Amino acid sequence: MNKLTIYIDDKQFQAEPGKSILEVCREHDIEILTMCHLKGVNDVGACRLCLVEIEGMSKLLSACTTKITANMVIHTKTERIKKYQRITTELFFAERNHVCAVCVANGTCELQDLGYKVGMDHIRYPFLFPKCEVDTSHPWYVMDQNRCIMCTRCVRVCNEVEGAHNWDVKNRGYQVRIISDFDTPWGESITCTSCGKCLQACPTGALWPKAIVQGQMKKNPEIIDELMERRKMIL
Amino acid sequence: MKSGSSLLDAELHKTDPRVKLIAAKLKKENFKPDALIEVLHTAQNVYGHLPLNVLAYISKALSLPPSRVYSTVTFYHFFSLKSKGEHTCLVCTGTACYVKGAQVILNEIESKIGLRPGQVSADNQLGIQVARCIGACGLAPAVVLDDEVQGKVTLGEIINKIIDKMAAK
Amino acid sequence: MNRQDLKTIIYAEKAKVENNKYKHKIGVCCGAGCISSGSEEVLKKLQEEVTTRGLDHDVEIIPTGCMGPCNQGPLMKYLPDHTIYQKVDCSNIAAIVQSQIIDKKPIEHLLLFADTREKPFRDAREDPFFKSQLKIVLRNCGQLNPERIEDFLVHDGYQALDKTLCEMSPEDVIAEIKHSRLRGRGGAGYPTGLKWETVYKYVNDQKYVICNGDEGDPGAFMDRSVLEGNPHRVLEGMAIAGYAIGATKGYAYIRGEYPLAIKRFETAIKQARKMGLLGTDILGSNFSFDVEVRIGAGAFVCGEETALIASIEGKRGTPRPRPPFPAEFGLWGKPTLINNVETFASISPIIINGGEWYSEIGTPKSAGTKVFALAGKINYSGLIEVPMGTSLREIVFDIGGGMQGGGEFKAAQTGGPSGGCIPAGHLDVKMDYEALTNLGSIMGSGGLIIMDQTSDMVDVARFFMEFCMDESCGKCLPCRVGTKMMCDLLQKICDNRATQIDLDRLEELAIYVKETSLCGLGGSAPNPLLSTLRHFRNEYQNRLIRHEQKDQIEVPSNIQV
Repeated sequence: MNKLTIYIDDKQFQAEPGKSILEVCREHDIEILTMCHLKGVNDVGACRLCLVEIEGMSKLLSACTTKITANMVIHTKTERIKKYQRITTELFFAERNHVCAVCVANGTCELQDLGYKVGMDHIRYPFLFPKCEVDTSHPWYVMDQNRCIMCTRCVRVCNEVEGAHNWDVKNRGYQVRIISDFDTPWGESITCTSCGKCLQACPTGALWPKAIVQGQMKKNPEIIDELMERRKMIL
Repeated sequence: MKSGSSLLDAELHKTDPRVKLIAAKLKKENFKPDALIEVLHTAQNVYGHLPLNVLAYISKALSLPPSRVYSTVTFYHFFSLKSKGEHTCLVCTGTACYVKGAQVILNEIESKIGLRPGQVSADNQLGIQVARCIGACGLAPAVVLDDEVQGKVTLGEIINKIIDKMAAK
Repeated sequence: MNRQDLKTIIYAEKAKVENNKYKHKIGVCCGAGCISSGSEEVLKKLQEEVTTRGLDHDVEIIPTGCMGPCNQGPLMKYLPDHTIYQKVDCSNIAAIVQSQIIDKKPIEHLLLFADTREKPFRDAREDPFFKSQLKIVLRNCGQLNPERIEDFLVHDGYQALDKTLCEMSPEDVIAEIKHSRLRGRGGAGYPTGLKWETVYKYVNDQKYVICNGDEGDPGAFMDRSVLEGNPHRVLEGMAIAGYAIGATKGYAYIRGEYPLAIKRFETAIKQARKMGLLGTDILGSNFSFDVEVRIGAGAFVCGEETALIASIEGKRGTPRPRPPFPAEFGLWGKPTLINNVETFASISPIIINGGEWYSEIGTPKSAGTKVFALAGKINYSGLIEVPMGTSLREIVFDIGGGMQGGGEFKAAQTGGPSGGCIPAGHLDVKMDYEALTNLGSIMGSGGLIIMDQTSDMVDVARFFMEFCMDESCGKCLPCRVGTKMMCDLLQKICDNRATQIDLDRLEELAIYVKETSLCGLGGSAPNPLLSTLRHFRNEYQNRLIRHEQKDQIEVPSNIQV
């Protein structure tokens, strides 16, 4: 198939049609910040970190869900985008109760990395301090809503990769929470296979194995995409 | 939290006529998973709310994961997991009603009857709810008492009507 | 049924009307507004009264759709003369029947607006409330029985469908709609013809037509009145759209709060199927089309097209990023056309009278008429339809009869929680898509709330922000957290606890949420705030406290110190 010519940050690239802006950027080491994107599962465009400016479009579009078209002119690092990335990051921190110092994921947390990347030195918005539950009913794993950023990577992995659909989202607006079955304890789930993929998918310390102590969590979210690739070969 | 595993084992009471209504709807919709919302409407109509064992029944019948059913139920305002009381009083707080004093009505209900929106009286006789707009803007402020729309309500009149309803049982 | 059969039925019905044995015809408004004022009892009592007097063979009584001035209900219309009686109750029916039918003299003090006008009009069409209106979408509402397909057939019903199927190609239909310059009445105003053409161009074995009747704006009830008053018109519009884009299946998504609209629309579908106006090989052509009703379950965000599609598929009504647009990837991944109720109701008049005729009504960029739900601190509220470009002053003072209690006009809110306000200085604005956008508001679906000097604009902004916060689906971060924070900040201003820093944060957040949200709900949620800031900034400023006055750091109430 003929490649398409596109322009990213004033440089010209050739890319295959059908690819998303994010895929092309990652191929060429152009940094796009993401939180809800996880290679191997479908994109939802929910975190709004990967927004890019496209000439001729009045709206900012999410790089993960927008497919490239011929002669697209894309800007990924304008002042406006940088400013919004910073606000988004601050809002992530202000939404729930994130305390890095006591978190299992301290050092391996994608949210923490994001804070460093956008140069967040303080948070200008009032914290919401929601009351969140910690579900420790599972024999091996813990779900801590305080550290959840509602990226729904666990929901998608559980549904699309494992096929169990233990996780989903309840309520709406700022009251959304991740639930297991009928909002029942994870340990009593009739759908969960205890495969642990959601722990790998989680960008923060919201899902973690009980055997791990503070700061010791090792994560390998790339495993999800590797799994999907291997499955293609079996088929 | 109720126990998850015991829920799906719980069979609905076979003699309950309301189960038949849900079963009929399921059959009419051909047990298609995309009919979930239609089935939930039927269940809510016959039960007044959506008890967890009913959700478990629907989840099984439509082959949908429990969390998927629960997430859909909690997304829509129409569906309620809790019982709403024998009598319901729904105050419209749409813009027209708001401008014409819906909040004053709610305040009066709270001070005279002691219930706030979303609350149900201790004897389960009365539940107070609010709607974003029931579309009766020309009749603002509007209140729905047990499915009966009361237009252009005045404070004293509506409180008396509510008290009458509670007393009538 | 083929084309000839339809003609035969219409001739027969028309003949029936012409050889009408009835000398008198009385319509009782059975729109939802009048029903809740007690029009069903009025209807019953009227029937009894007529029977008691032995006038059954002279007087025809019909329950009609919405007549318009909803806050004067229950309304009763003596049809040959268009004499409308207001606030009719069972006690004065006997007198009305005696006077209007036997003595042939209307009772002046019971006529429409008799309590507020110096001299009420015997022919209601002469009243300024109706005189300034132009009814295209609502033309037959309030004149025909919405539960009888025959009534609709007599009023040129399904003639447009007949014309499209027998005389026009899909390309012709699209060209006609494009020529009419009709724009989507759901709020955004996207050209309807262009939308149809886009869906038409996608080749697929299955396409869908969806009618968006999830009218969620607080203060809007246009779609409800159309669905209740003339459901067949919407159904006909959907069928024509189906023919034009090549779809065989339609869904009408109606909000669950409108049980009467759902009932009447379902009745209409049954009747149309029975007559062969829906189903296979409609009117002897090889076009097949059927419609199903889907009941909304109370989520404002489902008015957004991708969320509506998710809801029809039985899922949480969360929107997804566009592109791809539903025209390419819609319901169950198939090309899908989504239009609003009012848009579909505008189709058949365009087909019958031609696009040229329609394009000459209104303003150059916004053709046709717009239905508004007029409410708030105004004398006559209800449902009105005016040509695009009618000034706000005309709507408020001529049609609406001026401010209630002699109050002073302060602002009009258009577009509900996605719109903005128009202050008194712009009363002469010509209401069309562009003019409203220039003022920082939007046309929206047609809610028009009039506010007087007692309305607190900061509180209005807070009210709408709270609405958007409650209705946010929670999928994307800017809308989920941003609306909550803006709502908290607005509450702080309302409580006189905020400083200039809070106001600056609020403004920054408003623009951020507007530009970064995934869908139109978040994208427009800051509009009422930004618009009141633009026109009434002093009301915000007056509430701020100086930074030095803050004597202590506030601790949120849900935290224990």
